[in-house]
Amino acid sequence: MFNYTFQWKQAMARLPQMLDGAIVTMQVAILSMVIGVLLAILLTMFRLSGSRILSAIAKTWVEVARNTPALFQIYMAHFGLGSFGLHLSPFMSLLLGITFNNAGYLAENFRGALKAIPDTQTRAARSLGFGATDAFRYVVLPQMLRIAFLPMTNQMVWAILMTSLGVTVGMNTDLFGVTQDLNALTFRTFELFAIAAVIFYVITKIVTLGARLLAIRLFRY
Amino acid sequence: MRTSAIFVSVLAASVLASGAWADKLDDIISSGTLRCAVVLDFPPMGSRDADNNPVGFDVDYCNDLAKVLGVEAEIVETPFPDRIPALVSGRVDVGVASTSDTLERAKTVGMSIPYYAFENAVVSNSKVEMASWEDMKGKTVGATAGTYEAIWLEGQIKEWGEGTFRPYQTQADVFLALSQGQLDATVSTVEVAEANVKSGNFPGIKIVDKAPMVPDYVALFTLREEYGLLNYLNLFVNQQVRTGRYAELYEKWIGEGEPADLNIPGVYR
Repeated sequence: MFNYTFQWKQAMARLPQMLDGAIVTMQVAILSMVIGVLLAILLTMFRLSGSRILSAIAKTWVEVARNTPALFQIYMAHFGLGSFGLHLSPFMSLLLGITFNNAGYLAENFRGALKAIPDTQTRAARSLGFGATDAFRYVVLPQMLRIAFLPMTNQMVWAILMTSLGVTVGMNTDLFGVTQDLNALTFRTFELFAIAAVIFYVITKIVTLGARLLAIRLFRY
Repeated sequence: MRTSAIFVSVLAASVLASGAWADKLDDIISSGTLRCAVVLDFPPMGSRDADNNPVGFDVDYCNDLAKVLGVEAEIVETPFPDRIPALVSGRVDVGVASTSDTLERAKTVGMSIPYYAFENAVVSNSKVEMASWEDMKGKTVGATAGTYEAIWLEGQIKEWGEGTFRPYQTQADVFLALSQGQLDATVSTVEVAEANVKSGNFPGIKIVDKAPMVPDYVALFTLREEYGLLNYLNLFVNQQVRTGRYAELYEKWIGEGEPADLNIPGVYR
C-alpha cells in the first residue's frame, strides 16, 4: 500500500527553481529543433543529389538516429566523444544528442512529404525557367515544409521530453536535472516529480496548440 | 452519485486506517522475507561479484539483520535516486544503502542511529595539478547525484563562486568522466576512491587529499512512522558494534585498521 504523506507546500517552495529549469529545457529543445530542421533539409538534399557518397551519408545518419535509443545517442555524445579526448559540456552533449536524433527523424519526415508533392510541380517550375536549385528552393521546399509541419510539431514535443535524458550526462540545469537534484536533497520524490510532470505537460500542450494556431494562419488559402 | 462518493470515502478511510495500524516489523516477520534496498554501484559497500551476486558491506549488513529477525534476506538493487520511491511504493522494507542522515531527508523518511561513517577524499585526474582540496577552486568537478559529498561539493562551488559542478547518476559515470578528463576532480568516500584507484578500471586518476567535511554518518532507513521497526534497527546497530561484527565487516570489506567511531562525543543518541 502507498504509505506516504504528501507535503505540497515544501515542494511548491521549489517551483521557481523548477521553472528556471523549464526555461533551459525550452532553450535546448528550440535550439535542437532549429539546427535539426536545417540539418534535415541538408540530408534531404543529399538524398536527392544523386551522389552515392552523399546519399550514403544521409542514409546512415537516418538509420542510426532512428534505430538507436536517444539515451544512447546522448551518452555517446558525452562519454563516446570523451574517450577520444573531445570534451563537451553536459549542455552541449545533450544538445548534440537531441539534434542528431531530430535531424534523423525530420529527414525521414521530409522524404515522406516530398513523395506527396507531384513531380509535375518541379517540371512546371523548370518549364517556367527556374533552375534545378531554384525550383527546389522556391517551389518544392515550401510545400514540403507545409506538409511536414505537423510531424515537425511532434518532433518538437519529443525534443522537449528528450531533454530529461540529460541527467545521465551530468546536466543539472534543465527541468528534469533540477528536479532530480531537489529530489536527492529532500527525498520529496513524488511531489517534485508530479510538479515536473505538470510543467512538462503544460509546455508541450502550449507548443502543440501554438503550432496549430500558427498552421491555421500560415496555411490558409 | 452520492452513494458512490460515500463508498469511496469510507473505502479510503478504511485503507488509511489499516495502513496506520499495521506494524512493519510484524509484517516482515510473518512474511518471512526482509527486502533491503541496497546500492550495488558503490563498492565496497555494495557491488556484484564475478557471478553477478550482490556482495559488500551493506549486503552483509542486510543478511545479518535478516538472520536476527529469523527471515530470508532479499537484496533489491536500488540506484541512489530510487531509494525513497522503492521504500514508499512498498518494494522494500528497509534501506541498507549508505544513506546520509540529513535533517532535510529525515522529514521524509525515518532514520536509525548511524551504522557507518565515511570520510571523503578528493580524487583528481592525474594530468591536473592539484596538491590540496582547495585546488578544486575554479575547476570542473562532479560527484554522484544525491550523495552527501555531492551536496557538500556543490555548496563549496557556490561558496567559491567559480568552477562548475556536474552531478552524474552513477558512481561509475563519475569515475569514467574523471578518467576521460571531462572532470578535473571529484569527491568520494575514501573507501570508494581507494577501491577505484586499485581496481585499475579507471586509469589516470589519483587521490589528492582528504576533504574537510564532517564525517558522513549513514543510517538505515524505513518509513517514518514505523517506530517499532526503527526501534529494532537502532538496537540492531548497537548490537552489531557490541558483538564485534561491525569491526569484522570493516576488516572484510574495507581493510585493516579501526572502523569509524559511531559515537558523537558530547551529545546523546
